[in-house]
Amino acid sequence: MQSSRPTALLTRCLLLAAAVAGATAMAAEPLHRRVDQLIAGKASVAKQPLAPPADDAEFLRRAWLDFSGGIPDAGETRKFIADQSPDKRAKVIEQRMAAPRFAEQIAEAFHIQLMERNGDNDEWRRYLTESFRANKPWDQMAREILGPDFKDEKLRGAGFFITRRLEKVGQQDTDYPGATRDAGRLFMGVDLQCCQCHKHLTVKDYKQVDFNGLFVAFQNTKLQEPAGDYRTKWLQEGLMTNKYEFVSVLSSVKGATGPRVPLGTEVEIPAYSKEEMWTVPPEPKTRKAGVPKFSPLRELAARVASPENPLFARNIANRIWWQLMGRGLVEPLDLNHSDNPPSHPELLDLLAKELTEHKFDLQWLIRELALTQTYQRSSLLPAGAKNPPEELFTVAKERPVAAEQLARAFLAATGEQERVAGGKGWEGIEGKKHTQKDFEKAFLTAFANAAKEPELSVNPTLRAALFLRNNDLALWSLQKRKGNLMDRVAALTDAAQIADELYHAILSRPPVAEEKTELAKYLTKHSANREKALGHYAWAMLSSMEFFTNH
Amino acid sequence: MNPLCKPWEHAASRRQFLGASAGTLAFGALGGMISPQAAEAMRKKEKQVLFVWLDGGMSQLESWDPKPNTEFGGPFRSIKTTVPGTHFSELMPQSAKQAHRLCVVRSICTKDNAHSSGVARIQRGDPKNRGVPYPFFGSAIAKLMGPTSSKLPPYVWVKPGSGGFKTEDAGFLGPKYGSLAFGDGKPPEDLLRHASLTADEDAERNELRELLNRRYAAQRRPTYTEASSFVFDTAQELMKRANIFDTSKLAAKELDRYGRTEIGQHMLVARNMLEAGVRFVKVGSYGWDTHGDNFNGSASLVPKFDRAFAAIVEDLAATGLLEHTLVIAMSEFGRTPRINGHVGRDHWPEAWSIAMAGCGLKAGAVVGATNDKGTFVKDPGYDIGAVFHTWFQALGIDTKKVEYDNNGQPLPLAHDDMQSIKEALV
Repeated sequence: MQSSRPTALLTRCLLLAAAVAGATAMAAEPLHRRVDQLIAGKASVAKQPLAPPADDAEFLRRAWLDFSGGIPDAGETRKFIADQSPDKRAKVIEQRMAAPRFAEQIAEAFHIQLMERNGDNDEWRRYLTESFRANKPWDQMAREILGPDFKDEKLRGAGFFITRRLEKVGQQDTDYPGATRDAGRLFMGVDLQCCQCHKHLTVKDYKQVDFNGLFVAFQNTKLQEPAGDYRTKWLQEGLMTNKYEFVSVLSSVKGATGPRVPLGTEVEIPAYSKEEMWTVPPEPKTRKAGVPKFSPLRELAARVASPENPLFARNIANRIWWQLMGRGLVEPLDLNHSDNPPSHPELLDLLAKELTEHKFDLQWLIRELALTQTYQRSSLLPAGAKNPPEELFTVAKERPVAAEQLARAFLAATGEQERVAGGKGWEGIEGKKHTQKDFEKAFLTAFANAAKEPELSVNPTLRAALFLRNNDLALWSLQKRKGNLMDRVAALTDAAQIADELYHAILSRPPVAEEKTELAKYLTKHSANREKALGHYAWAMLSSMEFFTNH
Repeated sequence: MNPLCKPWEHAASRRQFLGASAGTLAFGALGGMISPQAAEAMRKKEKQVLFVWLDGGMSQLESWDPKPNTEFGGPFRSIKTTVPGTHFSELMPQSAKQAHRLCVVRSICTKDNAHSSGVARIQRGDPKNRGVPYPFFGSAIAKLMGPTSSKLPPYVWVKPGSGGFKTEDAGFLGPKYGSLAFGDGKPPEDLLRHASLTADEDAERNELRELLNRRYAAQRRPTYTEASSFVFDTAQELMKRANIFDTSKLAAKELDRYGRTEIGQHMLVARNMLEAGVRFVKVGSYGWDTHGDNFNGSASLVPKFDRAFAAIVEDLAATGLLEHTLVIAMSEFGRTPRINGHVGRDHWPEAWSIAMAGCGLKAGAVVGATNDKGTFVKDPGYDIGAVFHTWFQALGIDTKKVEYDNNGQPLPLAHDDMQSIKEALV
């Protein structure tokens, strides 16, 4: 340990010198090159080999899952592998991002991340999809979500993020602390939960005032049912004239704060006269509440989602990185603080700075990251690398496939997408019609996490295993039906051709020689009951980790 | 051990007799007399838990701590038990015959008299507030002890109503440590092998899946694939034992002994699960909130519980499982000694009883006492935190040494300022 220290120091100095020397040259380079240089630099210091690029099939499946929310069909995969043009990967990224599915996919991913399986709502989903379709800047979206305008038809859906969290559950108190915590976690990457009652015991940056400054704005609201101009549930803000006082349960030290950006500055509560306080004064006779001129929620939303707030840009840069690479530069995603530095500090600084300069254009960041070698690396460990540290990003990390994506991939792979789509439905158990929605619901029940449980990594569960093994819907797809996968392979006689069809359709890649031989042997063994046996083979592939993960 | 023969051992039931002889002749030799699962579980001597939850609050005065002929005693008499000097309510004739195996704490004194908060508070052990929800006892054991070598899910809940994967018990441990619930005693959806498959076909396609996974994982980090194998194995073990979860296959004779009631049937399923090697089985029973007409209510409810509870204690003792199985029966609180205007009893956390048996506990013990009228505990009494310490201790988990790690935040297993109930432990 002792002897290696000077060497490490020396290497660091050399790197620093190289970085300074290269700074001017680097500025002209596109972001994705600079990202790769920083990743490669650290890997080489750690003496960890970089995995080679993913092969064409693995890359294509990854890009489809990330940007189209499903898997490519067999024809798409074959065409891509056959394509000889050197820029075919960049072209696929461009095509996938230009397709209408892209906005829906990013909206779905953000919905899962922001709502954490705690409810869904059509207006909310429409808001997200339309916003991503218009490539609305992230700071604007964040302001619309945190300081919602419930009267604007196009924007009111954004309010679901807060209103859902403030709905009463059973006899529990309205969960203002929960909404506060989630706003901090998801928009600034700081989990301030512990600071509700005292300063954080293990994180010195997080103070009690940081939680309470955000908390006052939420606690100042009341959830109201739809009525009049309000078509959705909405938040009525109260009049705030004084700071909120709190006491530490540990030290008994008192504090007071107005609305405040966590780890940032406090918003001054304006000293309005009684006449100035209201935009719409209350009507005591009709008991109609007024609209105060000072809106802590909107004031905070504007300051949280601002280039002036460094944690805002760092959080979204870290989360987009996590989305595409499977691991944040800062981990856990919601513990950004000075004693928990990113794995690549210069890289997160760079991403946050560039994203701010690009006016929080998420499409631009996603495209740049998709173009990196880091994103496009193989998920196979390079020869000689034993358990390489994940935080070096030398190998592509396996990522979870969301339940909705699994449902789509499952239907696409088995060739049943069309039969269940379009509300037509299929003749199911006991003559009931089943639709794509039923499928999605069943997959959500089997594969999605419990409410409020973030879906951050690949998570095989007993529930999912039982679903795959015994569920009617899952097994229905593997029965031979006109035009579906089982029908197509039943028509083939050559084992190699069958393998080719199955592997392309389900795992989005050609089979290797060993797999072809294996299937041929299996079919010989089951020649008497070939059709059923093929169904079992397809089941094994659909239940495998290769199908279950985004690798 | 006292070598002297105790009088109650002569009052052996048929089941006891068979159990005892099976013990001398070695397990398995007697075929159908003792289940192979029980024999297997006994050989391994892995610690297990049976947790009977009587939701709403059982009256201590109509069960473990009767006060006949007193101001608040109610109409029922008390009866002798197999432990000289210890009396139970006459509504518990079967449990009275098991008293020498039980350990009853009569001086429970807790803090919450509302169901909404009390149920969770009691089942979480009411630790000091650390700002995070603590796990229920079953989730705690699932985390601390994991599945037994049977590979069956560590925490199973047999309950009336809906089944499925219940994650809320797990608190900060995360949903992985929630329970697998058998609603109305029935297996959760998708547990039974699909009708279109034979056992052989199912096994073969599962081997194929493993083969594909091995190839996939050969050059990748192993973590996720291992996790996948683990859950598919667990599914396999559950499916293999589907017969023991099938209430339609319960033997008529046994059903008669346990009572042809909801709790009787569920307790029998629970026994089968314990014999199969489930680490922690919770049996839930609802409707114990007798604010009105407490005495008719108790006369109906208590004997149903009594019969089922006594039967399972007797069976666990006969198969030897009781030696390493901790048995607990309790509610979120007791009921008021004062009888209200609706001839009911209300919520009373001040003085109530918990019955336990088995692993690490003194058999035939009565710990603590209430005053003559049953209104308050004598001495300081024991809060649920002390009870949690006692349970952990009984299972061999040292609460002074072991703690949870909640993302770096160390948390004690049970209330920091409390200790186990020494008189209850061996």
